[in-house]
Amino acid sequence: MTMSEERLFRFSKPEWLNSAWARNAGVYAAGAFFSLAFYTLLDSAVWSHSPLNASDIHIRFIDWLPFIFSTLGMLIINSVEKARLSSESFSYGGSGVAWKARVVLFLGFASLAGGMAGGVTVFVLKYVVQNVGFPALRMGVENLVANGLVGLSTVILWISQNMEDEYSYNLALPAQG
Amino acid sequence: MPAAGLKTIIALSFVLAVGFLLVILSCALWKAYYPLLVVATYVLAPIPNWICNHCANPDDFVESSGAAVLDLGRFCTGFLVMMGLALPVVLANSAIITVPAMIMSVIGGLLIYGTIISFAMFFQEEQDF
Repeated sequence: MTMSEERLFRFSKPEWLNSAWARNAGVYAAGAFFSLAFYTLLDSAVWSHSPLNASDIHIRFIDWLPFIFSTLGMLIINSVEKARLSSESFSYGGSGVAWKARVVLFLGFASLAGGMAGGVTVFVLKYVVQNVGFPALRMGVENLVANGLVGLSTVILWISQNMEDEYSYNLALPAQG
Repeated sequence: MPAAGLKTIIALSFVLAVGFLLVILSCALWKAYYPLLVVATYVLAPIPNWICNHCANPDDFVESSGAAVLDLGRFCTGFLVMMGLALPVVLANSAIITVPAMIMSVIGGLLIYGTIISFAMFFQEEQDF
């Protein structure tokens, strides 16, 4: 039983992707992207209440709500133990742990997608429909960018955590043989 | 890893002093003291990593809970490092500080954080397995 027989795609993953260095860098990058998302949104909030903002559109709680939902989704998605998802082959899960994990994961992805859709909704209803010009339109664009960055951060964190499984698997194999 | 001697310490402290000089100048020249937050951010940045390293056993590959705590620490560190870069940009975008002050505080903050990182790299205690 080798890895190559379980492989689905014709191109194998490059060797450096399995290193501990790559997954640590991935986790750091996920944190950095999440920080970037938060400060993008904070930038629009600070700018909206500064004297530079000539329009009467201001950032209120509504504008933060999509980001809060995206963050909640990210928290839920990355809290789920990944090994429990495919546990129909292993029986250590007991009754329906995989099912529960999938439900929780579904809630997480729904929250993340809901946050992104909320960002688009705020952008359309508050800025596009009312024909806001560019210096104020920046606040809406930053809202979209922030939600996209939260999604990107989630993807990077998910990939690096899955990398870890491969990494520990590669470590465990020579110990058995 | 290269041997860390007296010259390394002198060079690192020199770079640290230059970093602090840039950050303090960026505050004092324009009488707006918000960029000092950058120093606090970069000093706080290694702390989550350090705490989580003490909470988890890194040699434990079977139980993934230890790795999760380590990942949390790395995530928070990445957050704080990017915060040090993003905070002056946010302040400059709203004209709370000027753009030259932003550039100076970003460069100074990077020098300070680089010093902290290279100090930790050079003078890490030899771990015996």
